Amino acid sequence: MRNRKSTKPFLPTTLDNLKQTLQQSFYKNSDLTFTVHKKHGKKLAVFFISYQIHTDVLRDSLLKPLLEDLKKWSNEEIENNIPIGTKEKTDRLEHALELIISGSAGIYIEGETEILFYSMLNKEKRALEKAETESLVLGPKIAFTESIITNMNILRWRIRSNDLVAEEYQIGKTVSHEVRLVYMKSIANEADVNTMRQRLLDLDVDEVLDSVVLKQYVEDKQWSIFPQFDSTELPDRFSYGLSKGRVGVLVENSPTGFMGPVSLFSFFESTEDMFMRWNAGSALRILRFISMILSILLTPLYVAAVTYQYGLIPTNLLITLGTSRAEVPFPPLLETLILEFMIELLREAGARLPTKVGQTMGIVGGIVIGEAAVQAGLTSNILIILVAISALASFTIPSYLMSVSFRLIRFPLVILAGMLGILGISLGIVYLIIHLLKMSSLGRPYLAPLYPWRFKDFNKVFFRTPPQFYSRRFKSYRPKFLFRFSKREAKAKHDNRD
Amino acid sequence: MDINIKKSPTSSFRSFYLFFIVVTMQVGVGIMGAPRWIFIHARQDSWISILIAWLAIAIVVAIMLLILKQYENADIFGIQVDIFGKWIGTLLGLIFIVYFFISNLVVLATYIEVIHVFLYPDLPSYAIGGAMILLVLYAFVGKGGLRIIVGISFLFFVISQLLLLLVYEPIKLINWHHYFPMFQSTPMDILKGAKATTFTLLGFEILFFIYPFIGNKEKMKLPIYLGISYTTVILLLATMISIGYYSLEDLPHMEWSVLSYYKSIAYSFMERLDYIVIVLWLLTVIPTSNFLTWGMMHGLKRLFQIPKYISLYSIAIITFFLVIIIKTDTFILTATDKLANYAIWLVFVYPFVLLPCVYIKKYFRKQKYKKQRAAKS
Repeated sequence: MRNRKSTKPFLPTTLDNLKQTLQQSFYKNSDLTFTVHKKHGKKLAVFFISYQIHTDVLRDSLLKPLLEDLKKWSNEEIENNIPIGTKEKTDRLEHALELIISGSAGIYIEGETEILFYSMLNKEKRALEKAETESLVLGPKIAFTESIITNMNILRWRIRSNDLVAEEYQIGKTVSHEVRLVYMKSIANEADVNTMRQRLLDLDVDEVLDSVVLKQYVEDKQWSIFPQFDSTELPDRFSYGLSKGRVGVLVENSPTGFMGPVSLFSFFESTEDMFMRWNAGSALRILRFISMILSILLTPLYVAAVTYQYGLIPTNLLITLGTSRAEVPFPPLLETLILEFMIELLREAGARLPTKVGQTMGIVGGIVIGEAAVQAGLTSNILIILVAISALASFTIPSYLMSVSFRLIRFPLVILAGMLGILGISLGIVYLIIHLLKMSSLGRPYLAPLYPWRFKDFNKVFFRTPPQFYSRRFKSYRPKFLFRFSKREAKAKHDNRD
Repeated sequence: MDINIKKSPTSSFRSFYLFFIVVTMQVGVGIMGAPRWIFIHARQDSWISILIAWLAIAIVVAIMLLILKQYENADIFGIQVDIFGKWIGTLLGLIFIVYFFISNLVVLATYIEVIHVFLYPDLPSYAIGGAMILLVLYAFVGKGGLRIIVGISFLFFVISQLLLLLVYEPIKLINWHHYFPMFQSTPMDILKGAKATTFTLLGFEILFFIYPFIGNKEKMKLPIYLGISYTTVILLLATMISIGYYSLEDLPHMEWSVLSYYKSIAYSFMERLDYIVIVLWLLTVIPTSNFLTWGMMHGLKRLFQIPKYISLYSIAIITFFLVIIIKTDTFILTATDKLANYAIWLVFVYPFVLLPCVYIKKYFRKQKYKKQRAAKS
């Protein structure tokens, strides 16, 4: 945007001309305020968009000194005497327009070669709130907001170190957005930073709607169902990632940031695991891995066992299953698809409705429809239990995008199971694993530390150990600086109880 | 053709993975039916046959590594061309490719046969064969390649080892009298049993192909020998359980004895674990087929400069049609029999011929070099 050169010479000009040019540029928009003052034998214009700026600041810090205190009007004099920090000078029309839009007031003295701009941005934003989509039991509750300045402010307070680099870029050709590339200079791998920067700079799009959209533009494999960057609205999760050597991106107007490189397993990681004691943290993390496997395999296995491989189920259990399915008129595949569809329906409706109504939805959906479906003989009890378990299991994944992916994977697997029984499931899983092996995030392997195998990273991914075992950083992604602290000194306690 | 292959950090892998590659290739599909073939010859002394086979394989592997060591970073194709000249070298390379092709076919056909026998008698071969070939293809397209298939063999190995945990159930049912009296078979029978074993344990010849892509070659011996020993232990376990578990009259008639004893395992929530074993065997079939396909692709590229994707797709299509046509298990029987005979010459005898040739060539090269130096000075 800034590279565009204005075609014709623009300054110096008369105030009337300037007014005309500006108004033409805004297409006769009435938003532009253009006032002319005369003093000291000179003509001066102040122009701005009234709702973009703080009028108090304009009055007290700009107009008052300008009209009352200043002895003479010239650009130099004004620059030296106006008590506002952020100022810019320009002689290009495009730049001037951009500055006006982004909340600056312009001052032009007739005959000068440059316009002075003072930023007094008045941006409407909501206050800091608790995180909604990623909720934690322990730990900080604050969430990112839509304002990138606020977000950077939160982040700076969390990481008070000059190591934190936040490079600024403008992305989008028609509507440009401020994008920040955030990383820890001394930790993040330079190749990763360069890759991310290159991908951001190479983007040639008209507009980026949100960070989640930008994320999809810069991902390694856009056709995959799995997210390849970790999106979060939690500053603590974000800064935790940065301190592990990840590269983060924040986008203006977006309450989520994303960061990479990540592995599949880091989506199962919650900062909460670190806040808890190591044994509880490990148990929860392992629970999430088990629930992931359950959520993909439970219903397909049901379909396969009921359709083809009854042999898999012992006789006693088969009788229970048979009686519950005796009345059901549909083949297992159809029955399962209907029920899975219903669960997804409930979830989607619950997500769209306001919280209060959402609860009612849960009751109506879960109890009424579920109970009624069994009573009417449309589905079997056991399937309802299985579908409910697998839906619940998929919600334990801390990352919302990943849990959506996992719920969707289930459908092809159910269909494969309906077609080929457990062989179908096996084919599907093999495909899935090969797919995951081929994926990468910022060019780093997606299945690390499983493949490439790095056993030393296992306690950072699959379970947790007491804190002194975290003396080195996650090696699979080659952070610039592996060492965190000395294990021996961390453990030493110099208690003095006398 | 260059005799040596340039080392590149992006396509090489750590020697740690050699263990998994060797085990995957050796296990293949053979182990499912192997105990019967060994038992027919060596009876209750099968374990001696297996140990003899293990020793033979260890020696052959040592010879292979010795051959490969004489070159900087070469594979079998380069070495053969270097020693026997362009024409004979290419022909010998082609023999290896054909051998790989038939092995691949046998692996896929055997697995389809198992599926037919145990799971779906009526499932058309093209469905299951096509699905498997597509999965094999998928590992190569796009970002795929040697590193990905190494990863596949590694991950699938880890998953499929869970099946080993289940064998304690058949072990409990073993009749220990079946192993006695020992040392009843004649040495000839034991050697025949060893020959049957070696066919099951073929697959380590992949070393001839992947050697240039091993990252840290100084550490490669341990994983390779551990790999062949591990496979031997697995086969020994499978055979001994089969002998102890089935009556001595029945075993010669059990075609897939390893699968059958999984049938007896039952839990309160699951029975008939042979189903699970069979479908999880896909995790061995796919990487085996991957490596064989990769070997063929790599060989064709080295010998004839055929682009990899062309050879990949043509191999896949030809294999697919052949897999459909081969339906009866008589084919598998005759093919495996023949293949076993030829393969033993190719894998077990050929390295012993190659090694002296390599040494002679090296000697002459040194002489030539010395002469050149003498002439210069």
